Amino acid sequence: MQPIAVLGSGADSLATRLTDRIEGRVVRIDRVTDTDLGPTETTADAAVRFTAGGDWNARGADADADLTTLLDRFAPAYDYAVITGETRLRVPTVLVGDDRDAEDVPGDVIATVPEPSAIDVAELLAALEGAEPWITLEELIDRAKADPLAERSGAIASFTGRVRAKDAPDDDRTSQLAFEAYEGVAADRMDAIAAELEERDGVFRVLLHHRTGVIPDGEDIVFVVVLAGHREEAFRTVADGIDRLKEEVPIFKKETTESEQFWVHQR
Amino acid sequence: MEWKLFADLAELAGDRTVPVAADPGDTVGDALDALLADRPDLRDRVLEDGDLADHINLLRNGQNVIHQDGLATELEAGDELALFPPVSGG
Repeated sequence: MQPIAVLGSGADSLATRLTDRIEGRVVRIDRVTDTDLGPTETTADAAVRFTAGGDWNARGADADADLTTLLDRFAPAYDYAVITGETRLRVPTVLVGDDRDAEDVPGDVIATVPEPSAIDVAELLAALEGAEPWITLEELIDRAKADPLAERSGAIASFTGRVRAKDAPDDDRTSQLAFEAYEGVAADRMDAIAAELEERDGVFRVLLHHRTGVIPDGEDIVFVVVLAGHREEAFRTVADGIDRLKEEVPIFKKETTESEQFWVHQR
Repeated sequence: MEWKLFADLAELAGDRTVPVAADPGDTVGDALDALLADRPDLRDRVLEDGDLADHINLLRNGQNVIHQDGLATELEAGDELALFPPVSGG
């Protein structure tokens, strides 16, 4: 799923135009103020209201965490998410009637316009082509299960690499990692690794995905999913998959801790 | 011909891409000399005793030149050259 955020006074109008023009399944997600969420009076940390017709809304203690949850939920079945309202998530962003500098927005600003009518939607969609999609572990597992050879599979193994805040209790805390990839070549290498691992007996499908950009501590970086006949091949192949990705794929990381910033390959 | 640089190499050079005067028929080594002449701060980072340091990767069209003719590899029109440190993804 490709998310796109629209911010500013003209956000609603542009988000509607964009949604009308996109081919494929679109989920529209709007961050609204508390008063729009309805009258649930509760001291619960999260509240969900839904109707038999399928309408629902949810309220939680952490709105950004909720947006992550929503994107994770819709990613497997939707092609695009059109989002309005502030977020700290790093999704490609359009500023409409919004005077902020691009540096003050968490995601990459792909267009800045004074009003919704000033934008060419086709150009905007073209600019999204190279953007990073929102891929979840669940989606990769769904793809593995949809493989024609899945009927011969009795095991799926997955690996998730995440940003570790501390390697030891008294460590300086790592606040984020920034990943830079050699675009094109990195994807080709990951495809080649997956294809080579899929040649093994009893290994039917291997999926690799590595996120790039700035990733805060606690968040996921990389996923490896293996669809195999039996658990032995699944475990061995998922381990070899992440090992080979770390050794061979041209991706570089810069670590930011409480006290310093450094390229990890220089340590 | 244009170089793509990554991580601290791009920081040292001041740019992620650096065009150099090297043409089809010249070698990868010629293109590297041109790069280091233009961005001298890179020299000590990527060379060791005058040769490309072992831990520095030099790719031509996505393939490491150690699997081609090394720095003697001849350039062809439209080649993409890349220089980067040890990878650290994951």
